[in-house]
Amino acid sequence: MGLGLKWYHFALWIGFIIFMLLMPEMVSKGTLRTIIFANFLAIFAISWDILSGRTGYISFGHPFLIGIGAYTTAILTKRFDVGVEYAIPLAIAMTMIGGTIMFLPALRIKGSYFALVSLAFMELMYQLVQVIRPDLTGGTRGMSGLVTLTRGAVNGYYLSFTIMIIVALSMWLLMRTRLGTALSAIALNEESVKGSGLSPTKLKLFAFMTSAFVAGLGGAFYVHYLGSIAPRALFDINFVFTIIVATLIGGASTIVGPMFGAFFLTFLLEYLRPYLPGAERYLIYGVIALLLYMYQPKGLYQIMINQFNRFKKDEDDG
Amino acid sequence: MKVKLLRVVAISMSMLFATTAIAEIKVGFIGSLSSDTGLSTLRGAEIAIDELNAKGGVLGQQIKLVTADTRQDVTEGVKAYEYLAETEEVDFIISGSIDDVSLGWLPRMQEYQIPTLDTWTSYIGIIDMLVEDYDSMKPYFMNIASDEALATLYIDFGKDVLVDKMGWKSTVILQEDTAFGGAIHGLISQAMAPVAGIDVVETIVYDVATVDFAPLYSRAVASGADFIYLISSVNSQVVSSQYVKLQVPMGMTGVNVAPMGQDYWEDTGGMGGGMSTLTPIPAVGMKLDPASQAFVDTYQAKYSSRPIIPHFNGFNAYHGLKQAMAAAEEAGGFNNTTWVSAMEKQDLILELDGELWLRYAFWGNDEVEPRTGRKYPHNLRFDITEPFDDGAPSMVVIQWYEDGTNAVVYPEKYANGEFTLPSWVKK
Repeated sequence: MGLGLKWYHFALWIGFIIFMLLMPEMVSKGTLRTIIFANFLAIFAISWDILSGRTGYISFGHPFLIGIGAYTTAILTKRFDVGVEYAIPLAIAMTMIGGTIMFLPALRIKGSYFALVSLAFMELMYQLVQVIRPDLTGGTRGMSGLVTLTRGAVNGYYLSFTIMIIVALSMWLLMRTRLGTALSAIALNEESVKGSGLSPTKLKLFAFMTSAFVAGLGGAFYVHYLGSIAPRALFDINFVFTIIVATLIGGASTIVGPMFGAFFLTFLLEYLRPYLPGAERYLIYGVIALLLYMYQPKGLYQIMINQFNRFKKDEDDG
Repeated sequence: MKVKLLRVVAISMSMLFATTAIAEIKVGFIGSLSSDTGLSTLRGAEIAIDELNAKGGVLGQQIKLVTADTRQDVTEGVKAYEYLAETEEVDFIISGSIDDVSLGWLPRMQEYQIPTLDTWTSYIGIIDMLVEDYDSMKPYFMNIASDEALATLYIDFGKDVLVDKMGWKSTVILQEDTAFGGAIHGLISQAMAPVAGIDVVETIVYDVATVDFAPLYSRAVASGADFIYLISSVNSQVVSSQYVKLQVPMGMTGVNVAPMGQDYWEDTGGMGGGMSTLTPIPAVGMKLDPASQAFVDTYQAKYSSRPIIPHFNGFNAYHGLKQAMAAAEEAGGFNNTTWVSAMEKQDLILELDGELWLRYAFWGNDEVEPRTGRKYPHNLRFDITEPFDDGAPSMVVIQWYEDGTNAVVYPEKYANGEFTLPSWVKK
């Protein structure tokens, strides 16, 4: 397979997993709640990274996919009493169909045009949810009192972390294969990929499908964590920007970077809350994110790699 | 290098493990800190807490208020509720949240069972949740009349004033493209218009970022309707002031959030005359009982920034928070059974000139409201039948006049002004 795995890869992943599993013993429940949101944001950011970070097809409409997953399971469980064990897989399947629909414009357009079309998908979904069968979707106000899979911060934390780590680890491994390399090549030069005998269409379809799978999985579990859903909470430009900023701040096209970015952004906002309860914290948050991005456009992941290399060099030198 | 790394790790860990100490009675505010309505609830709660603390607090302890901003965002609302519950460990939560934000954090309220009072949301769906699942929803109280009660009385306004007095038979709805707009549109097109005998000839939906309403008003005039029904909550001073500036030659009423605040006249640069809207009470232009007037006086002495007079939910927060603390005194704490029973019994009757003017009490779990024939557990005890002697009406209609004054025009008991057309509209 040629995954290029080193011993320290295993050590870092295992160390991270053990650290996270011990987290409920070390931090307050309030902090766990914050990490739960960070876990879900990490899933969404990884999903965006697979599609946009890898292939260069910038999606401004990712909530379209997340929303399909979330709304499908919400409607099935709330309106038709379908068990979550069936509703969630069906939601993921529906999201993958949504991913196929979103993929169609990518056959003809790219760059900023695709970004705008993807944004239109989100806007279309926002309108559809409110207009088409509001008796099912809950219309503008959405739905509350949905089935929740867990109660309490600790259980919610373990569930969200388990999903996040499975997604992160499997996607990290997938992107280290030749398939992952080929996806990155699409972003660099689609024509060259074609010239090398590979099918960019199939590769892009794979990226859209995989991204949709992760988005659907995350969206479905997210809604069963929240216990409520509203169109304004999902199909919102701020939600898109949060996902994109988390990926870029963490380090696009790295899978691990979006995880860092999601944790950094979520914690930054929550730790500012007691000191700046109003809108000011979003200003500080924006300034810090901007400065960080200006300092290292490749994100936190690259900063950590650089620190690690410097640390290693210091060790080697003396 | 190692020392630097260790220092960074140590600082990060100390931030991660930081928790807040708990001492006094903690009240959490959840709502938008950047809206007039959110600030009204917050300030109403602050004044109530100041007054209670000056008298020794509650349960022998001082009350501390902590805030959690929702930015009127549903997900931020969930995070805010979790923050209040798990990081701040508050005893009681007062909310100035809008509908979908409240619906977002309600599952958390059901999980934590923290006594919670909503002062702004009026969504009947939440009361329905209490009807269906009283046990898990019982710590929740809403001290604003639910929108269904509000609609019932508003249909009366449609019949009594728009049809009988003005002789209007058809309307064109001018509706903003928001959740609020969609919900109110349903109320008007499916409830008020058919019952009152008003024909909705057209609905014009506009984006909240619209700055030029001339084409939309032209379309409304071309529809041939008798009057415009405006539904606006975001930037509604823009659509209102352009109605005056363009001297649109037809009457306009509706559900318009900007005129519900006393800041409306300044916000429109003095071009807000002729606009009328339904509003929950206490409303601008409405005479106040002595206790509520004293609250406004304290408010104006304490705050110099907008809103210059609290919106209705500010009054709800002020009176409601005091009732919640009185219930805690009676119950010996905020236990979700004893406190709920004590809160259900709270009954504050505020009189003006010897007659009931406002009433802060709640419908019981088994009580049926006679006119609608349904239950409203833990909803404000409103009265939707004249002469309004069991409670205050669920809403009033107010009007702004061209000289910058305002008055209540419906219902008659509360009216201190006439529903009129602006001077440029021919009768």
